Amino acid sequence: MADELVAIEAENLGIRYSLRLTRKNTVKTSVVQRVRRSGDTSFWALRNVSFAVRHGESLGIIGPNGAGKSTLLQVLAGILTPSEGDVALNGHISSLLTLGVGFDEDLTGTDNIRLAGAFMGIDHKVVEEKLPGIVNYADLGEFIDAPIKTYSSGMRARLGFSIATSVEPDILLLDEVLSTGDAAFREKSKQRVGELVQEAKAIVLVTHDMNWVLEYCNRAMLIEKGHIVAEGSPADVVREHQERSAERRAAAQAAGVFSTAKPVPAKRG
Amino acid sequence: MVPHARARPARGPREGAHATLPAVTSRSEVPSSFRSSSVRPGPLALIRLGITETLSRRRLIAYLVRAGLKKSGADTLLGNLWWILDPLLQMAIYWLLVGVILGRGTYEDYPLFIFAAILPWKWLDSTVKEGVRAVTSQERLIKQIYFPKLVLPLAVSVSGVVNFAFGLVPLVALMLLVYPQRLSWWLLLIPVIGVVQLLFSTGLAILVSGANVFYRDIGNLSRHLMRFWFYLSPTLYGMDTVATIAEKHPTFGPFITAWFRLNPMTYILTAYRDVIYYGRAPDWASLLAVAGISIVILALSVLFFKRVEPSFAKVL
Repeated sequence: MADELVAIEAENLGIRYSLRLTRKNTVKTSVVQRVRRSGDTSFWALRNVSFAVRHGESLGIIGPNGAGKSTLLQVLAGILTPSEGDVALNGHISSLLTLGVGFDEDLTGTDNIRLAGAFMGIDHKVVEEKLPGIVNYADLGEFIDAPIKTYSSGMRARLGFSIATSVEPDILLLDEVLSTGDAAFREKSKQRVGELVQEAKAIVLVTHDMNWVLEYCNRAMLIEKGHIVAEGSPADVVREHQERSAERRAAAQAAGVFSTAKPVPAKRG
Repeated sequence: MVPHARARPARGPREGAHATLPAVTSRSEVPSSFRSSSVRPGPLALIRLGITETLSRRRLIAYLVRAGLKKSGADTLLGNLWWILDPLLQMAIYWLLVGVILGRGTYEDYPLFIFAAILPWKWLDSTVKEGVRAVTSQERLIKQIYFPKLVLPLAVSVSGVVNFAFGLVPLVALMLLVYPQRLSWWLLLIPVIGVVQLLFSTGLAILVSGANVFYRDIGNLSRHLMRFWFYLSPTLYGMDTVATIAEKHPTFGPFITAWFRLNPMTYILTAYRDVIYYGRAPDWASLLAVAGISIVILALSVLFFKRVEPSFAKVL
């Protein structure tokens, strides 16, 4: 039965951000807000999102900036708890959502791999077994024994990608990672994602690179303002996205022309 | 969708043998499947969850502690020798100030008298100060990967134990070289008092680490509160001094007595001083009472922490 292969199932998912709580509150601002009771301060980053991903499927999520793509990945990774609805994942998950962010700046690359393994809950023995492979794949040379605060962003991305894909996850969540690193490593990571897709692992990929979606995803989803707008074959969804983006650009341009007619506050010169 | 499909990892026909359930559990310390829902569990379930996820992540805590220790000595010339020098220097300053300049060190063997209290106080102080930053300093990680955030304050708490254990080296050295007449078998009870202090300081670390996510003022506030607490605890003086002062001031006396009675550190520091300096049995009843209160504080802290944990990734 096909349903037994469901890797991710989201039902009526909603994520609400309370603007009152976000951003480094001090007691003062909190009291002020509480006294003023300044209206509805919540904001839905995602609402009414329902979908399923089967094992062997590779889902590409696209959409404009701030649409809620990364928020959705964070929910799937368990980082955010739904404010509404629920999500179920079947299988071992690997998520390094912003690859290139190290675990501990002062530790060496090798120690960071160990720490990453511990954070991901991978057995100590398995980490030690995989360590040479990860080091080899990241291909950082002598830098592997240097603190990662000395790494360039490309090197961080390489290390991060090597760690994330080394654990043979059943479900791999990737966010905008494939654009980092030099051309050679991009090619290498492209190949590795291809392999993972071949191995019938479920993949959810958030990217702005439409070629990636077309090449490696067998399904795509377009999200705008926290809602699913389109879902289906990558080619269709990408076309839909491009059409809508073009419309938005045209609308913005029209608005831009309009706004220049309005008096602009005099500045510099 | 079939509901039972959620209960265990689904297996695709094209997947190799390594993807079977036993293989998954053998390579992972955490459940390979999870459900994240908007329904929040009740208080007891939350505390139980906090305990089980902490136990399953023992290794992560050990790694965090080790990483912290590795770093603390890495950039300094003397390295980990600082763990031994720190409490000694602190003792020297207070001895110079109170004992020599102010001439108030009326206790015999005053350096050892204050050292017996400074050592455990340093433990509490560093646990609270590092606890404040435990969650907020891992902002990027919290937004990047799922893990039980309780491990962060717990790692701070365990690091405190390790540092305290190193501090016992200069203590024993001081006693062997300068005050051999004060050595007694009661010293062996230090770990017992340490367990009580661990319960107490862990609760505090969890509480401040969670609260600081929402109110960054906690960091500034705690620095000052810790100094007040240090001077208003029997560190540089003993409880007999407190009794004399309370007698002298009839108006403030009751307040002073009440504060020292309610302050858990009074009993903990007095117990250390009993076994280290006086070479006598600690007051078991009050130690037991402090342990009981600490467990209650710990449970409430875990509950508070688990309640606010889902908001961390949003607020940070």
